Amino acid sequence: MASNIFDHMLLQVKNLLPAYFEETGKKNSETWGKDLSFSNGDRVKIVAPSGSGKTSLIHFLYGMRQNYTGNISYDATDLKKFSIEETARFRKNNLSIVFQDMRLFTAQTVWENLEIKRQLNPFHPPEMITEMCERLGIGNKLKSICINCSYGEQQRVSIIRALLQPYDILLLDEPFSHLDNANAEKAMGLILEETKKRNACILFADLERNEFFPYTRLLHL
Amino acid sequence: MKPSFRHIKPLLLSGGNKNSRWFSYIGLCIGVLLLLCSIQMYVNLQQLLRKNSTHKNGYDFISIRKAVTNETMGSPSLNMFSNEETEELRRQPFIDGAAPLMANNFRLQLSAGRLIEFQTDFFIEAIDNEFIDTVPPSFTWQEGQSTIPLIVSSDFLEIYNVFAPGYELPQVSEATISSLTLTITCFDRQQQEILFNGKIVALSDRINSILVPKKFLDWSNSNFSTKPVTKASRIYLKTKDANNPELLQFLEKKNYRMNKDKTRFGRVKQVLQGVVTGLGIFGLMVVMLSLMLFSFYLQLLIARSKDNLRLLLTIGYSPSWLSKKVSQLFIPVYIIIVFIALAVAVVLQWAFFHYVMHDRSELSAIIHWSLPVVAALLILLSVITNFRMVKKLLYGFYKQPQE
Repeated sequence: MASNIFDHMLLQVKNLLPAYFEETGKKNSETWGKDLSFSNGDRVKIVAPSGSGKTSLIHFLYGMRQNYTGNISYDATDLKKFSIEETARFRKNNLSIVFQDMRLFTAQTVWENLEIKRQLNPFHPPEMITEMCERLGIGNKLKSICINCSYGEQQRVSIIRALLQPYDILLLDEPFSHLDNANAEKAMGLILEETKKRNACILFADLERNEFFPYTRLLHL
Repeated sequence: MKPSFRHIKPLLLSGGNKNSRWFSYIGLCIGVLLLLCSIQMYVNLQQLLRKNSTHKNGYDFISIRKAVTNETMGSPSLNMFSNEETEELRRQPFIDGAAPLMANNFRLQLSAGRLIEFQTDFFIEAIDNEFIDTVPPSFTWQEGQSTIPLIVSSDFLEIYNVFAPGYELPQVSEATISSLTLTITCFDRQQQEILFNGKIVALSDRINSILVPKKFLDWSNSNFSTKPVTKASRIYLKTKDANNPELLQFLEKKNYRMNKDKTRFGRVKQVLQGVVTGLGIFGLMVVMLSLMLFSFYLQLLIARSKDNLRLLLTIGYSPSWLSKKVSQLFIPVYIIIVFIALAVAVVLQWAFFHYVMHDRSELSAIIHWSLPVVAALLILLSVITNFRMVKKLLYGFYKQPQE
C-alpha cells in the first residue's frame, strides 16, 4: 500500500452500488454500476441532486461504510480487505476528507481541532494552521470553542483540517454548503494549492457544477 | 513521529463518575492489602511452625505401633511389625515411605561418666536417616570406631532436666549436651562387657528414642545377640498429610496406634493454613471485584467519550495506539495504589514482628520477597486487562462508525 506522497495511487471502482439501492439505479448513472479509475493529478467533479447517494459514495470510498455491492480498490487492494489498523494507517497517510456535516470536536477550540489532526501525520508546521485560518478569514477564531462558531466557520475549519496531512486522494462532500461564493472560492484556491503540492487527486461531490473548480473529469451520479 | 496525547486527553476525561472511580481505587487498595497480608501471614506461619514441625520437605512423619490388647499381651511377637506388614504399609498410596525403628537385641547399659553419676539399663534404636529430622554429617559409624554418635529425643533432655535436681545431678543445656561423653556398655553372648563412648551429636523433635547409626545397630545385634532381629515394635511413616482420612481409616482398621500429639498438631496447623488461605482467597476476590468495578468505570468513561473517540478513529487515529494511551492513563494510579498497599503491608509485618511476636528469631521484620513480585504482577495484570478491554471497545466503534 502506498504511503509516500510521491507514489502513484490508483483508485478503482467497479460496478459499485449501495446495497439499499435498486439495480435500476445503475441505468442512468455515470458512476453507479460503472468501472472507473482515478489517479494522482485527477480533479473529478461528481454532480448529483440530493438523495442520489453522494455522501454514501464518499463514505464508501473513505472506508466508513461497507454496505455496498461491487468493489473499491486502492492500488489493487480491495478496501473491504483492509484491516482496522491498515485503514487507520491509510487514512493517516493517503486519504483525506472534508465531511458535509463537518465532524469537529465541538467542545474543543478551533486550534485544538486542527492541531489534533496535524500532529497525527504532520505535513505542515504548526504555524501553517494560523496562516491557513487567516487566509480563509477565521484567523480570529483560533481560540474559540467550535460549538460557538457559525456553520460557515466550522466548515472552513473542516476544510483546513483535511489539508494538514499528506494525501493522495482528497474526498470533498459538499464542502462549501455553508459558504458564500467569495469564501468558497478562497477555500477552493487553498485546496487546489495544497493538492498540487502533493500531486494528489480530488474527488469533489456537489449538488451542481461549480465554476471555480477546474475539473478534469465530470461525472453525473 | 508519534502523535502527542496532550490534546486528546481532555476529549476522554470529560465524562465519568468520580465516586465510582474512588470506590474502585479504595476497593483495589484494600483487596491488594488483604492479598499481600495473607501471603505474608502464610509465610510467617510456615516459618513459625518449621521449628516444631514434623514436616520435612513437605511431608509428615508419624510413628505407629500395634495396640496391645488382652489377647496379644502375652506374646510380644504379635505386637511387633513383621516385614510383610511393613511392605503392606509401603504399598498404600497415601504412604510415601515406611521405616521400622529397630532396637538392640542384647543387654545394654548407659552411664554418664564421672560428671553425672548414674547408670541404667537402656536401649538404643536405629532408623533410616531419611526419617530423622536432624542428621549431622558426623552421624556415621565404621567398624572399629569406639565412639558412637547418638541422636537423642529432645523430650528425654527435658525429662532429665526435670528430675536431675531431685537426684542432685547437674542440669544440662542443649548447647553443652554435645560435650558430654556417655559410656555405653554392651553385653555380648557370654555377658562380657564391651565399652563404647557415646557422643550426642543432635537432638530430635520427631523420634522419641536414642538413635545410633543403623550400621552400628546391625553390627552389634549380629555380634552380641543370641537371636536374630527381624521385627520392629514401631514404624515411622512418611506421608504428605498425617490427617488424611484414608490413612486414619487404614490405621484404624489394622488396629495400629499413632502418636496423637503429632496429628493434633497437624490439625491445628491445617486449620491455621486454611484460615490464612481463606483470607487470601477473599483478598483475591476483593481484587477481582475492584478490577471489575474499575473496568465498569472505564467502560462508562469510554461510553461517555464515544463520539470523540469515534471521530478520532474517523480522522485516522489508530485504535491500537489510542487503546494503549487510554490504558496508560491509569498506570500511575495503579502503581500508587499497589505501592500504598505494599507500604502498609511492610508496616503491618514490622508491627506484627515487633509487638505481637516480640522479635522471635524464626520470623523476619521484613516482608517476604514474594509480596513485591505479586504486587508487580497485579499492576501488569490490571494494565493488560484494561488495554484489552479498551482495544475491544474501540474496535467495536470502528465496525459501527458514526453515520
